[in-house]
Amino acid sequence: MRESVAHFGSVTQAREAARLGVWVFLATELMFFGPLFFGYAWGRLKLGAGFAAASGHTDIMIGTTNTAVLLTSSLFMALAVRAIEIGKRRAATRCLWITAALGASFLGLKAFEYLKEWHEQLIPWLDFRFEPPALRNGAALFYFLYFGMTGLHALHLTIGIGIVCTFARRLRSHSPAAMRAQLEGAALYWHFVDAIWVVLFPLIYLVERHG
Amino acid sequence: MKTPSIASLVFTWLALLALLAVTTASAYLDLGAGNTVLNLIIAAIKVALIAVFFMHLGRADGAVHIAAGAALFFLFILAFLAFGDVLTRPSHSTPWRAPLLEASGTEAGLTY
Repeated sequence: MRESVAHFGSVTQAREAARLGVWVFLATELMFFGPLFFGYAWGRLKLGAGFAAASGHTDIMIGTTNTAVLLTSSLFMALAVRAIEIGKRRAATRCLWITAALGASFLGLKAFEYLKEWHEQLIPWLDFRFEPPALRNGAALFYFLYFGMTGLHALHLTIGIGIVCTFARRLRSHSPAAMRAQLEGAALYWHFVDAIWVVLFPLIYLVERHG
Repeated sequence: MKTPSIASLVFTWLALLALLAVTTASAYLDLGAGNTVLNLIIAAIKVALIAVFFMHLGRADGAVHIAAGAALFFLFILAFLAFGDVLTRPSHSTPWRAPLLEASGTEAGLTY
């Protein structure tokens, strides 16, 4: 099957347009995550002690493992795109399944972490408990932003896993050339979600760890 | 458009993991404000590595660079104007609430 050109002058032009479209979409996604980062920066400046104490309650083992898992998933995503470019369908499919599996492991660990936080009563408005009481409000804002940011990230990752699985299946019946532009777009989205996590990781897990 | 080699992708991944190890280990050293600065610098380097080597920002055309640059530029404008407001004014409670108590941790007038 030939790569669809539609109203474009050439395959290359169509591919460049698709790439630009995804980048513009990612720019709007950054605006979506932006206010949460501002909220965090404001809280860190105004309620720093509460934020530091709250960060100490996060699970750094799970956080670090999850970061490594997501970085590895990005490697396999990049390898999948490379395989598509040189026409290796089987290698690309295999890399895509590994990417999706790593994304799912991230979500599994994240769900386990949420469950732990639920048991430790660290969810704002759900019988939130934090000692000492003087730091309670700062910690509550930290956890409010924590669930907001990681929840929004997990939602993006879930969508990403859905897209990756769909494309891995579609590669069975479509030629690598026909799938190339779509897969490149999906990869850009996947790496973006990874990059968001890379910034979230130190903000959530690494505040005043040495205390 | 040059296809990246497997080696370049694997090296990027190894560099990302090494930076993850450095940022996590450095969190256990007391560097004062330096902890946050170092964490943010390392995060920025990791994002740059992902953008250049995984997202192929290096080999992309000019329009893509403009889109990526515009995203950062608008984020900067949003942050600059928002912080210009909140950081130059004292936090006031709403009139129907009790006066704020700095020491009790309710300085922001937030209750959960």
